Amino acid sequence: MRLLHEQNIEDIALGAAVLGTGGGGDPYVGKLMAREAVRQYGPVELYTLNELDDDDLIVPAAGMGAPIVIVEKLPAGDDMIRAFEALGKYSGRQPRGTMSIEAGGLNSIMPIYVAARLRIPMVDCDGMGRAFPEIQMTIFTAHGITASPFAMSDERGNVLLMDTVSNAWVETFARSCVVHMGAEGMIALYSATVKQLKEAAIYGTITLAEEIGVTVRNARREEANPVDAVRAAVGGFLVFRGKITDVDRRIEGGWNRGDAKMAGTGDFAGQELLLEFQNEHLAVRVDGEFAATVPDLIAVLDSETGEPITTEALRYGMRVAVIAFPCAPQWREPAALELAHPRYFGYDVDYVPVEERLGA
Amino acid sequence: MMRRVTLDDTEAIALGAGVLGTGGGGSTYLNRLRLNSELKNRDEPVTIMQADDVPDDALVCAVGGMGAPTVSNEKLQEGQEIKRAVRALEDHLRQKIYAIVIGEIGGGNALGPMITALQLGLPVVDGDGMGRAFPELDMDTFMIYGASPAPFALSDSHGNVAIFERIGSAKQAEAFARSLTIEMGGSAGLVMPVMTGAELRATIIRDTLSLAKRIGETVLDCRARSIEPAETVAALCNGVLLFEGKIVDVERRTVQGFARGKLIISAFDAFGQQLEIDFQNENLIARGGEKVLCTVPDLITLVSLDDGEPIGTESLRYGLRVAVLAMPAPKELKTPEALAVVGPRAFGYDVDFAPLPGNLL
Repeated sequence: MRLLHEQNIEDIALGAAVLGTGGGGDPYVGKLMAREAVRQYGPVELYTLNELDDDDLIVPAAGMGAPIVIVEKLPAGDDMIRAFEALGKYSGRQPRGTMSIEAGGLNSIMPIYVAARLRIPMVDCDGMGRAFPEIQMTIFTAHGITASPFAMSDERGNVLLMDTVSNAWVETFARSCVVHMGAEGMIALYSATVKQLKEAAIYGTITLAEEIGVTVRNARREEANPVDAVRAAVGGFLVFRGKITDVDRRIEGGWNRGDAKMAGTGDFAGQELLLEFQNEHLAVRVDGEFAATVPDLIAVLDSETGEPITTEALRYGMRVAVIAFPCAPQWREPAALELAHPRYFGYDVDYVPVEERLGA
Repeated sequence: MMRRVTLDDTEAIALGAGVLGTGGGGSTYLNRLRLNSELKNRDEPVTIMQADDVPDDALVCAVGGMGAPTVSNEKLQEGQEIKRAVRALEDHLRQKIYAIVIGEIGGGNALGPMITALQLGLPVVDGDGMGRAFPELDMDTFMIYGASPAPFALSDSHGNVAIFERIGSAKQAEAFARSLTIEMGGSAGLVMPVMTGAELRATIIRDTLSLAKRIGETVLDCRARSIEPAETVAALCNGVLLFEGKIVDVERRTVQGFARGKLIISAFDAFGQQLEIDFQNENLIARGGEKVLCTVPDLITLVSLDDGEPIGTESLRYGLRVAVLAMPAPKELKTPEALAVVGPRAFGYDVDFAPLPGNLL
C-alpha cells in the first residue's frame, strides 16, 4: 500500500491523458476534483491486488458521456458518490474499495475522488489499460465479469439501476440515458471480487500512468525532448510530426466523433495524416495507409511540451506529434480482441499489432 | 361489486377497455389471449379488490406495457417482463407488493395487469390512474395528485431490468423511460408508481374495471340483439355519438416511440361532411372543419359501425365504416392540476378545454 498525495495525482493525470488516447475525458477535470478531495479528506491508500483479501468486493467508479461536455460542465461530485453508494445498496454488498475501469483520462482519477471522500482503498489496476468509448469494451467482459448491477446518477439527483443480460445492453441503455442527463453521468459498474480481478484486471496501470507523468515532468524540467520521453516511457513509435490542418468534430449519440487531418513537417514534410476518433482515437492513416488502429494506443502530443491533447481540444494550427504504442497484451486474446477490433468500429482491416506495422 | 375475473369475463372487459382506450393503450386482442391462457392454466380467477380495502401502509404498484401499439402488435411479449420488474422492485425495496393496480384502463393495458397478478398470486384493484388511455407516463392521476414517480422499473423481453431509484419528476421519468423503451425494441413492461394504500386511495379513479366490463357487456348484448352498439355505449358512458362515416384518409408514422398521425372520416350523406382526428397513440382532438368538437381529456373512440368493435390507432385504415363516440372524462381529469398535464394545451393544441357535459362515471 502507498499513499496518493497531490503530486501523485498531478503525475497520474498527466500519464492518464497519454493512456486516454485522446479520450476518457480530460483528466484535468478529474484532477481538480481529486485534488480538492485529498486536501479535504487526506491522501488515498493505493493497494495492489495481492494486498487485499480474495473475497473483498471492489466497485469501479467512472464518468460517462461526451468528453467535450464534461470539460464544460464539471461533475458535481455528489453524483459520483450517489451512484457508487446506490450500487452498494442495490447489490446488498458493501464495497471494500474502488478502482479505475479505464486507466485513460478522467476515469483514472475519478476513483481517487471516490476513495478520498469515502475513505476507502483504491486498487492499482483497471479493466482496459487505456480508454475506450463503450462500456462493454473491457478485459472484464472477455472474462465474463458482468457490468451489471449498474448504477448511474446525474447532477440533478436522478439515480438509475440496471441488471442486464449482457454488458453490451448496459452500454445501449446507459448511452440512451446519458443523453437525457445532458451527455454526462456518473456510473458504478463491474463489481468484482479481488479473486476475479486477479485473473481479469490489468495490473499496475495507475502506477504506469504516474510513471509516464513523472517522465514527462522530468523531461520538461531537464529541457529534454518530452515527446521522445513519452514515446520511450510507453515503448511506442513516432508516427508523425505535423500541423493540424482540419478538424471535423461533432457530438453524436453521447460521444465526440470526427476526424482530424494533419500536414507533415520536418522528416514528415509532404505527408498527410488522417486521425479518426469516437471519444478515443480509433485509427491513424498516413497517406492513406493505416499506421495504427485500436486496440493499440494512439496519442497526440503537443510537440513542444509533450502534453497529450484530447479529441475535444484538437484545433487548427496546433503543432503536434502522434505516437502509437502497444495495448495491454490481454487485448490481443481473441475474446478480448473482438470487443475492440478495428472491424467493430467500421474499419475493413485486420488487426496488425502496432509494433509489426511500425517496428523497423 | 366486482370480486373476480374469470374466463367468462375477459371478452367483455377487452371490449370495454378498447372503448376506454380511445384508440391506444395497446391491443386488447393479444393481452386477452394471454390472460385467457393464464386463467386456463391456473384454473383460478383473478381476485379483484376495492381500493378502500387496501391497508394504509401496504405497498401497491401500478403496471402496464409501454411503447408504440404499432410495435406491440407485431412484437409479442416474452410474458414475464412485468413480473420480473415487480420482483426487482420488491427485492430493491425489501418489501412485498400487496396488490397490483391497473395503470391505464384503456386498451390492452387493462388486461396485462391481471396476467401479472395471476403470475404473482396477487389481487388487482378495481380502478386505474386514467379512466382511459394516455400516451405518456406523467399523464395519470397518481402523478398528477402527488404520488412519487420513483422508484419505478422497466423490463424487456431479453430479461433486462432497469430501476430508477430517484427521478426529478414524472416528466423526466417519461423522457428516460421512453428512450429505454425504444432501445428495448419499442415495447417494455413498466411498473410505476409504487404507492402505499393511503396514497392509492387519494389518487385512484375507482371502479373503472367494472365500468369496462359493463361497456363490454352492453356491446355484446347489442350484438346479440342485432343493433348497432355505438349509441347505447355512448349513453352508458354519459357521452354522445359524435359522427358516423367512412375513413377516407390515414396518415400514421411510428416516431419517438409513439404511433402518431391523423385520420379523416367522411360522412355517408351527400354533403361530404368530414371529421378530422389527430392521435398520439390515443385520439387527441376531433375537428369538423374549423370547429373543435372534442379534445383530451374527454374520450374520443372509434368503433366499427356494425358490431361496436373498438378500433386502435394502429389498426386504422382506409374504408373502415366507423362510429365516433365522444365521452366525458372522469372528474379527476378535469381539475386545473389535471388539465395542465392532460388538457389540449399539454399536447400542443392552442385551444381551451371545452368539456362535454357530465362525467365518465
